[in-house]
Amino acid sequence: MLQVTKAEDVIDHGLSLGADFAELFVERSLTNAISTLSNQVQSVESGIDFGIGVRLVFGSKVLYGYTNKTEAEELKRIMGELAAMDLRDPRVLMQAFDYSEPVEHHPAHRILSTDADVDSKVAYLLAADAAARVSSNLISQTRGACRQKEQRIEIFNSEGLHTTDARNYVRATLTAIASDGQDQATGMWSDGGLLGWEIKEQVDPKKTGDEAARQALVNLSAKACPSGRMPVVIGNGFGGVIFHEACGHLLETTSVAKKASVFHDKMGEMIANEAVSAVDDGTMVNEWGSINIDDEGMQTQNTQLIKDGRLTSFLVDRLGAAQTGYERTGSGRRESYKYAPASRMRNTFIESGDSEFDDMISSIDRGIYAAQMGGGSVQPGTGEFNFAVTEGYYIENGKIQYPVKAATLISTGPAVLKEISMVGKDFSLACGMCGSVSGAVPTSVGQATLKVDEILVGGQA
Amino acid sequence: MSIASQAEQILDRVRAAGAEGDLIIDQGEALSLKAKDGALEEHKVTSSQVFGLRVIKDNRVGTAYSEAADGESLSALVDQALLNASYAAVEAHEKILANALKLETQDAQLSPTDYTTVAEKIELALTIEANLAAKPMVKNVPYNGVQDSIGERQVFSTTGLEARSKARMMHCYAYALIESGDKNAMEGIGQAARRFAELDPDRLVDRAYQNTFDILQGAAIPSGKYDVIFDEEILPSLFNVFSMMFSGKSAKDGVNPMRDKLGDEIADSKLTLRDLPLDTDGFGYALFDGEGTPAQSLCLIKEGALSSLIHNSMTASYFNSASTGHGTRGPRSTLGVGLHQLEIDAGTADDAALQAGEYLVVTDLTGMHSGANPISGEFSFGASGYLCRDGARVQPVRGITVAGNFYELLKRIALVGSVQHWNWERSAKMPSIRFTALSVSG
Repeated sequence: MLQVTKAEDVIDHGLSLGADFAELFVERSLTNAISTLSNQVQSVESGIDFGIGVRLVFGSKVLYGYTNKTEAEELKRIMGELAAMDLRDPRVLMQAFDYSEPVEHHPAHRILSTDADVDSKVAYLLAADAAARVSSNLISQTRGACRQKEQRIEIFNSEGLHTTDARNYVRATLTAIASDGQDQATGMWSDGGLLGWEIKEQVDPKKTGDEAARQALVNLSAKACPSGRMPVVIGNGFGGVIFHEACGHLLETTSVAKKASVFHDKMGEMIANEAVSAVDDGTMVNEWGSINIDDEGMQTQNTQLIKDGRLTSFLVDRLGAAQTGYERTGSGRRESYKYAPASRMRNTFIESGDSEFDDMISSIDRGIYAAQMGGGSVQPGTGEFNFAVTEGYYIENGKIQYPVKAATLISTGPAVLKEISMVGKDFSLACGMCGSVSGAVPTSVGQATLKVDEILVGGQA
Repeated sequence: MSIASQAEQILDRVRAAGAEGDLIIDQGEALSLKAKDGALEEHKVTSSQVFGLRVIKDNRVGTAYSEAADGESLSALVDQALLNASYAAVEAHEKILANALKLETQDAQLSPTDYTTVAEKIELALTIEANLAAKPMVKNVPYNGVQDSIGERQVFSTTGLEARSKARMMHCYAYALIESGDKNAMEGIGQAARRFAELDPDRLVDRAYQNTFDILQGAAIPSGKYDVIFDEEILPSLFNVFSMMFSGKSAKDGVNPMRDKLGDEIADSKLTLRDLPLDTDGFGYALFDGEGTPAQSLCLIKEGALSSLIHNSMTASYFNSASTGHGTRGPRSTLGVGLHQLEIDAGTADDAALQAGEYLVVTDLTGMHSGANPISGEFSFGASGYLCRDGARVQPVRGITVAGNFYELLKRIALVGSVQHWNWERSAKMPSIRFTALSVSG
């Protein structure tokens, strides 16, 4: 996408300004987004994102800029403005580019530059809508969305790296709205991965519609949630968002290096109940959070974060490695050329245990079963987090009693890790978009159903 | 080739295809600085440009965008938008407005020339971090920054519209992480201005520190019902989370619970809420909306009664009404509706009345994007703040949740303060409001 001689000229210019490291991240992405409202196409949108990110590193200082233009003079101008306060004699010699093509772990076939497959995607969304609405006359409406992206990147750096990659993402979502004339409630189901529209062969629009409708109907019948400190059983799949937010972000060197993470000095220590082992794995074939190489050109890997409760690794990008001394883990990621890379998660999950779901429920006198989790947020400095429960049930005397609504789970990462006492066998992953300093990147969360012995539940009852 | 010439070429191709269209071109420049341990940690210089085209042909709407501005990409932009339109359902209400207005904001007012050097801005970033880090018990200042951004939007249409707006915003922010024994806390604040000289780093540092220090020893309070005052930062956020209640588009889509309540009492009679896009003191100022319709002031709730929803031309046509100048559209987004800057009329309660007896001042809510359901009005958020009695803080409060129904809460307004406050982003101006009987879990 960028001539090698031009890249060489620009990077050489960056080093001539005194930078220790210079990098160009070139991106051209195609996107296509289809949205439906019940049984009609609401919109079809498409776009071309193109730009070049320029990164210069002077010691621990990162200078970053970007432009939509490809002229060498524009790239040099940005470098000049970035380095204006740091100009010094050259410190580093540029290494000749040695092109390497990454191993393709995540094959994709029906990709956007070949065909947007609009007819097929519309048919899928409308079939999911029909399935949802046929399940109950209380389903008043559905919203469907199918988004596909083809991201092509090319990376050059002053250490001789020259590599390219193509990432193909596709995700289809249906939201069902149930209404009884007085109250409304929603349910949602989503499938996605790092592949092309061939995902259509793996997903079932009827299941998507049925599941979205089922959640909406459960929520429509839900009662106010009890509040207070109590045990909570958190469902598999997207339930893993708690580990992602409350613990995963605290293991990124983005916060570790700043000592803004409560775990920054806990390497090798027991930070979780010994029932907990967790990994961040970029190698899982065609999974939503997978990659071939990270956005700094390093091959991805499977990183064991916690083993039997003990902290074994952080998520480390190039800058984090320089700041903390830990080895890079292929975790430098960014949303687009508009962001400098930062240490980020990929497919992050708590590994399966051996507990039975029924044993978790029967062990609780008064608590909550959070079958489906929604989004949440965490404050890295303190580990305080909050998460919405999108499908929840009240447990009493060891039995699930009735659905509850508007529940929120509040705790801190370190506290909840030590309160996980049982982990089940029903492991699954779910797609999400993770927002942080380098933008929104696709990540998977996951776990088997697990039990947290005590957590603050916010409800209205 | 100039932007206007490129726009004309694109729109000529749209006309030649027998379609109508409008084109948004956004351009921007920004500088972003962050400090860490006395040195500059990030220095970001950016320039950007994106073309966003909407076409309407045979009552079908298609959109496409391109960040690449070469001739081939811009031709593809037109072709892609027309192709996308061919898949869309017929939408009889969405039109390119017969609007040939020439609209332009005043650069001297909204985008003043500022001769502050990069070195001075860097010095500001370093000073903020250093001064906050030097305060007692501050472990570090993990989040801080100084930003200077200029954004320009131009809208052209096949019917002759030419609208241009340009605005500058300088802002700085800082968050302190304080540790004392086994307690820690992180809080912060920001400032926004159009000129560098209007930023006040000493005040920023003092407020960021005080906010963090004061909450450090916070603890939960017993569960129960409390009177609550959301501070000037949180109250606008709460209204924003539930802003769908004013959306004409959500009403058209059948998901706005206020759809059939125009004229109904939906709030306590002490509440009057307006959208004031032409108030140049705020950064939500807008001369025109995403369709190029001139923006105008609009009363949303008048003494407790729902007086208007917000409309673009499409939702207005659907409801046989007129656009209120609240169309939103960006180069990458389809036509929607959105608020500009909210203002709540000052009430009559003085501080003594607002602060009588026991009440909870909420200074932070977490999980606002995930813990709220704008369709039902239900919410459950993590919260922190201060338990107060007769104007004095009794204890800092952390680790609680507040839960309720926003639409019911609007009816439980005990008092509205007599002084309006801008939030730090200067996007909303509201007085203190005392709500009654909010559920708190500690």
